[in-house]
Amino acid sequence: MSVPYPVASRGPEDAPARPGSASERNMPAPGHDGSWDGPTYYGRPALKPAPFEAEVVGGYIFLAGLSGASALIATVADVTMGERAAGAVRRGRYTALLAPTIGSALLVYDLHTPERFFNMFRVAKATSPMSIGTWILVGFSGCAALTAAAQYASDRGAAPRTARAAARAASLPAAVLGAGLSTYTAALLAATSTPLWAAAPRALAVRFGASAVACGAAALWLGERDGGLARRLETLAAAALAVDLAGDAVSAIAYRRKGVAPAMAGPAGTLEKVVGTGLGAALPLALYAASRLAGRRPPALGTLAALAILVGGAAFRTSIIRAGATSAERPDVSFRFMQPDNLPD
Amino acid sequence: MDNVFHMHPRAAEHHQSSLDRVIPNESELTAGVRIEPGKSYGFFTDTTVCIGCKACEVACKEWNNLPADNLGLSGQSFDNTGALSANTWRHVAFVEKSGAGGVRAQEQQPFQSGWLMMSDVCKHCHHAPCMEACPTGALFKTEFDTVVVQQDICNGCGYCVPACPFGVVEVSKLDGKAHKCTLCYDRLKGGLEPACAKSCPTDSIQFGEVSDLQGRARRRVADLHARGVPQAYLYGTPGAPGATGGMSHLNAFFLLIDRPEVYNLPSAPSRPSRRVAPSLFSGLAAVAGLTLAAALLFSDAERRA
Ligand code: SF4
Repeated sequence: MSVPYPVASRGPEDAPARPGSASERNMPAPGHDGSWDGPTYYGRPALKPAPFEAEVVGGYIFLAGLSGASALIATVADVTMGERAAGAVRRGRYTALLAPTIGSALLVYDLHTPERFFNMFRVAKATSPMSIGTWILVGFSGCAALTAAAQYASDRGAAPRTARAAARAASLPAAVLGAGLSTYTAALLAATSTPLWAAAPRALAVRFGASAVACGAAALWLGERDGGLARRLETLAAAALAVDLAGDAVSAIAYRRKGVAPAMAGPAGTLEKVVGTGLGAALPLALYAASRLAGRRPPALGTLAALAILVGGAAFRTSIIRAGATSAERPDVSFRFMQPDNLPD
Repeated sequence: MDNVFHMHPRAAEHHQSSLDRVIPNESELTAGVRIEPGKSYGFFTDTTVCIGCKACEVACKEWNNLPADNLGLSGQSFDNTGALSANTWRHVAFVEKSGAGGVRAQEQQPFQSGWLMMSDVCKHCHHAPCMEACPTGALFKTEFDTVVVQQDICNGCGYCVPACPFGVVEVSKLDGKAHKCTLCYDRLKGGLEPACAKSCPTDSIQFGEVSDLQGRARRRVADLHARGVPQAYLYGTPGAPGATGGMSHLNAFFLLIDRPEVYNLPSAPSRPSRRVAPSLFSGLAAVAGLTLAAALLFSDAERRA
């Protein structure tokens, strides 16, 4: 028998685990972890999680932060130090190409109708961080590509003076847009109804921005041979990590107060704590402090710290995406979050 | 003003359809309302008279040609539909009050026998979060003040899905586009009442102009209070639960007699786009501070060199 129209043989969700009454839940016991202990509808989700692939979107957010911050740090180094920072500036300008290339590809890949990606360019909307971000990415890609092309030309010795001036001219708007690129992704998550993302809009953005700067500094450190500049990149990374940790503490308080903390109790939350915060922020900070105290800077430890920052930064983004999906799927979390006491005043 | 709806002037260029073999302005006969562009239309769903027949679900599937979703039993009361989804734009929730705590009560309540039923639908929010989030402009406000996804534009980014505070809109696995209730945009264009409202045998689903419906709903609540149902209240009218946090009001609103959560509705949703500016500017401030730190660090290095 052929059916003339598509029939989804499975529903939009798996059949629920066990029958229960409406006032009952098949999620954790009422009130056991500070979430909603009132009625839910058979423990069914009240919200739909974003249909994002955590690795793809998390990977994009990571690359956007890394590229934006690399462009920014390279420009600052170029403006303040000029020729002395030439190596770091060059690497920063090339690293900035990650978001326009791989990052954009990831974004298109995550669309459910990728062949229509260009519809993103139909409108510009201030209420939609995804639209804001599209235009930031477009502008950044143009400026970063120009900067990198001019850099390449001057490296090759083609009209070095003109090329250097062009690179610097294009790198200034790239730096400004890079700051937007590394932080708009937090607004993108915060401006949803997904409880975990919406619970701490400011702290999440501070974390995304600070973590991006740490990743950018770590990436530039990895190729730096000038000891003085390398030490300053370490200091910059350490400062950014400190801001990140402060943002983490603030958001943890907000999560608890607004009742979304249970969404961080699962594997995604553990990954965030262990790899995102522990490996990505606490460990490198400890390594930097130790080498500062010992007065020696073994390069292996520096490399370890830089790699840890990068891995932690990627894990942090991915696990926030995952834990957000959990918070949307758990009605106890979403109903607790959407109580009147959590309304913005 | 928050509650005024402005129709895009170009919407007037697109005339109402006059369909063959359809009574002109049929909605005047079936819903007592003439459908004209530039006015706000919506649903008032009075759950106290819902009998759970699911005629609305069937009428919706038939008119909109929606594929079947879950061909099975959920084991949860008479609700085998489960939830609103890309293919299910009306969902009748069944709440067995007398079975609370897992024990079936021996005595039935006099009112509705301890059953709550509610036909859920897209709320066609006044400040629709899904529409505000849509980066392509596929989601738009029609000339009837309803929220519709333009299927020829949606690229399936899925950002409207987490934006909706009611878990309504969904990206279909079948075609990779977002789908939800259109408040029968095509029928409104042809002067027809939406299919679900027309099919509702108890007038639990009422279609009409939002201001009329709100007046009708307030009178119904007063009536219920007078008749001994003091817990009746409206969900989604201005200032009521569901229209909190900058949401203004919902064009499709409900009369409920228990907590919103019992019907799988949030008590106090908020308008997500209000978080854009605080988030964006805090992030930029953090990066600006760290940029300043970098500038100080690097120029210090330059001075010492
Ligand atoms: S209920 Fe959800 S899908 Fe419907 S208009 Fe509001 S935000 Fe959009």
